[in-house]
Amino acid sequence: MTPATPILRSNTLRQSLIVSGVFVLALLAINFVFFQPGTVAVVLLSGLYQGMLFFLAASGMSIVFGLLDVLNLAQGAFFMVGAYAGFAIYGALPEGVPLEVKFIAALAGATLAGGLLGAAVEIGLLRPLYARPVFQIVLTFGLSTAINEIVRAIYGPAGLIPINPPAALDTTFTIFGGQFETYRLFIIAVGFALMVGISLLLQRTRLGIVIRAGVQDREMVEALGINVRRVFTLVFMLGTAVAALGGMTAAPFLGAYPGMGTDFLLTAVIVIVIGGMSSYEGTAVASVLVGLTRATAEQISLQYLNTPILASVSILIFMIVVLLVRPSGLFGRE
Amino acid sequence: MIPRRAGLIGVIVLVLFVAIPYAFAAVTGKPDEGLAGLAAWHSAAESLYCQKGLNPATLILLVETSVFGVATLAAWRAGDRMGAPGAALRGDGWHLLVVMVLITAPFLIGAQTESSVCSRGQAFFWESVLIDAFILAILSISYNLLFGFTGVVSFGHAAFFGMGAYTVGLLMKHADAPWWLAILGAIVVGVVIALIKGVVGLRIKGLYFALFTLAFAQVFFLLAGNRILVDLTGAEDGFTFKVPDWLNTTQNRLLFYFIALAALAASFTLVRRLMNSPTGRVLSALRDNESRAQMIGYNTFHFKLIAITLAGILATLAGVLRGLALKGASPGVLGLDFTITPLLMTIIGGAGTYVGPVLGAFLIHLTEEALRDTVVTVGAVSLNIGERWALVLGLIFIFIVLVFPRGIVGSVQIWWARSRRTER
Repeated sequence: MTPATPILRSNTLRQSLIVSGVFVLALLAINFVFFQPGTVAVVLLSGLYQGMLFFLAASGMSIVFGLLDVLNLAQGAFFMVGAYAGFAIYGALPEGVPLEVKFIAALAGATLAGGLLGAAVEIGLLRPLYARPVFQIVLTFGLSTAINEIVRAIYGPAGLIPINPPAALDTTFTIFGGQFETYRLFIIAVGFALMVGISLLLQRTRLGIVIRAGVQDREMVEALGINVRRVFTLVFMLGTAVAALGGMTAAPFLGAYPGMGTDFLLTAVIVIVIGGMSSYEGTAVASVLVGLTRATAEQISLQYLNTPILASVSILIFMIVVLLVRPSGLFGRE
Repeated sequence: MIPRRAGLIGVIVLVLFVAIPYAFAAVTGKPDEGLAGLAAWHSAAESLYCQKGLNPATLILLVETSVFGVATLAAWRAGDRMGAPGAALRGDGWHLLVVMVLITAPFLIGAQTESSVCSRGQAFFWESVLIDAFILAILSISYNLLFGFTGVVSFGHAAFFGMGAYTVGLLMKHADAPWWLAILGAIVVGVVIALIKGVVGLRIKGLYFALFTLAFAQVFFLLAGNRILVDLTGAEDGFTFKVPDWLNTTQNRLLFYFIALAALAASFTLVRRLMNSPTGRVLSALRDNESRAQMIGYNTFHFKLIAITLAGILATLAGVLRGLALKGASPGVLGLDFTITPLLMTIIGGAGTYVGPVLGAFLIHLTEEALRDTVVTVGAVSLNIGERWALVLGLIFIFIVLVFPRGIVGSVQIWWARSRRTER
C-alpha cells in the first residue's frame, strides 16, 4: 500500500466533488426537461428529504466501518428501533402532555434507546469477534433478524400509523405551485444539522481526531496510548444513536413497520458503497445524490409508467454503475 | 483416498434397495396378472407400498437398512481385513446409510402412525416436511461451497433460488414447456446470473462484492413484486402453474420425495468430489490465502468464477425443486430470507465441512416443524415457538457464532481429533 500524501488526497477529493457536482447538474437538467417548475421544486425537496433520512441511516455505518472495520448490517434494525421507541414514548406519556413535549421526548428517547442498545451490542456481541471479521458481519446480519422478530412479536406484523408531529410542523406550503409538507423540511433540517454536527465533531474535537486517526491507522493510535476499545464503543453508540434518531424523525411520515429496517439497510448500504465505505464526506454527498436520483426516477416512472418501480431500481443501478467505474466508490481510496 | 469403487457399490446397493421391495410387491400383489406388463407391475407394487401401517415393503426396507448398517459397522471395526469393499464402506458407508434411512423414513412414519405414504395422513405430511428440508439442504450446500470452501462472501443467494422457481414456473405456465426444458431453462438462467455476478462483480474486492450481490439480488426481488410485470408474474401474489402428474406433490408425493433426496445426494457428492479434485484444492487455497494462490500462478478470477457458477447451478436447482413442489412461486423466494436462511444453516451446521450445511438444514427445519405449536411460558412471558421461530433461530445463531464459530460439525471434529490424540 502506498502512503497517501496530503496533496494527492485533496486532489482526489476535488475530483470526486467535481464528479458529484456534474451528476447533480445532470439530474437538475433531467428534472427541468421532464417536469413543470412546481414539480421540479417538489422533486428536489423530496429528494433532499429522502437523502437526509438515508444519511441518518448510513452515516453511523460508514464511520463504524472506517474505524472498527465492522460492517454493521443491523443498522437498519436500529433505525427501526428508533421509530418504535418513538411510538412507545408517545403511548407512555399521559393524555394531557402537549404534542411538542411528546415529540421532543420521543426524539431524545429514541436517540438514547438506540445508543444504549448499540453499546450493549458492541460490548456484548462484537467485542469477542474482532479477531474474526467475517463473523462480525454475519453476526450483525443475524442480529438484525432477531431485532426484527422481537419488534414483530411485540407490535405485530402490521405497521403502525404515523404519529402526529407538533402542530407547527403538521402543515403544508406551496412552492412554485407545488404542495410540500412542512414536516419534510424539518427532516431536511435535522439531517443537515447532524451532517454539520458530525463533521464538526470529526474535524474539531479531540475525539474526532482520534476517530480520524483510527480510520487511517488503528495500531498507531493504540501505540500512542489511546484506549481504542473505549473509542470503539463510543463510536458504535454514536452510529446507532444517529440511526435511531433518524428512525424517529421518519416516524411521523412513514410510521413504523417491521420491514422498515431492511428497506433502510439496503439503501444505507447503497449510499455507503457509492460514497466509498469509510469516507464520511463520501457518505454525506452520496446520500444526497441517492436521494435526488431516487426522487427524480420516482417522478419519471410515476408520470410515464404509472408505478414507482424506478425509484428503487434506479439507485441499485446507480450503485452498480459506480462500482464498475470506480470499484472503491466515489470518495473511496484504493 | 476413497476407492473409486465406492461410488459404484453405493449405486448398486441403492438400486437393489428400492428394486427388491418393488419386485416383491409386484410379484406378490397380483399373482394372477404376474408379469403381464409394466403397468400391471407398477399398480401391483403401488397397492402394496400404499397399504396403511406396517406393510411388506416397509419390512423389507427395514431389514435392508439394518443389514447395511451392520455391514458398515463391521467394516469400520474390522479395519483392513475386509479389503477394498470394506474400505469403501468405511469411507462412504455412513453417507449411504443416511440415504437409506431417509428412503425408509416415510414408511417407518407410516408404520408408526398407521397412515399411508401415498395419501393424506401423518406420513404424507412428513414427506413434505422432509422435501423442504432436502431443498434447504441443497441451498445450504451451495452456499457453503462459496462461503465455507472458497471464502467468497455473497449475500445474494436468493437470486439464484428465486429465479430457479420463477423460471421453471414461467416456462411451464406461459411457454407450455415440457418439464425437462423448463428445468434446463432455469439452469441456463442460473448460469447467466452467476456469470454476470462473477464477471461484473468480481472486479470488486471483498466487502464491496458482498454488498454488490446484496443489491443485485434485490433487483430481482423488486421486479418480481412489481405491478409492471403483473401479467407475467402476478406481482406480490405470485402465480401458480400446472406440473406433469408424476411431479405433482399432491398426487405423487413419494416419488417427488425420492427425486428431491436424489438431488440432495447428487449435490453432496458433487461438492465433495469437486473439493477433493485439484480445482477444489485451489478453491480452498483461495479461502486461506488469496494473494499466495495468485502468486503461485493461479488465475484466481477463473477459479472464483467456477465456484460461483457451480454454487449458482446448485442453488437454482434447489429453487426449481421448490417451485415444482409448491407448483407456484411468489416474490418471497427472491427475498432476503432465502439469503439469510442458508447462511444461518451453513454456519450453525459448520461452514467449510461437507456434512455441516446438510445437518444444519435438517436440524433447523425439523426443529421448526416439531416445535410448531409449542408454547413456552417463562414467568409472565409466554412464547409461541412456531410463530417466533425466526427469533429463536437468530438467538441460536448468535450463540453459535460467539461460542462455536466452527458450527456443530466443525466443533465435533475438533473435539474428536483432540480426544483421539489423548487416547494415544
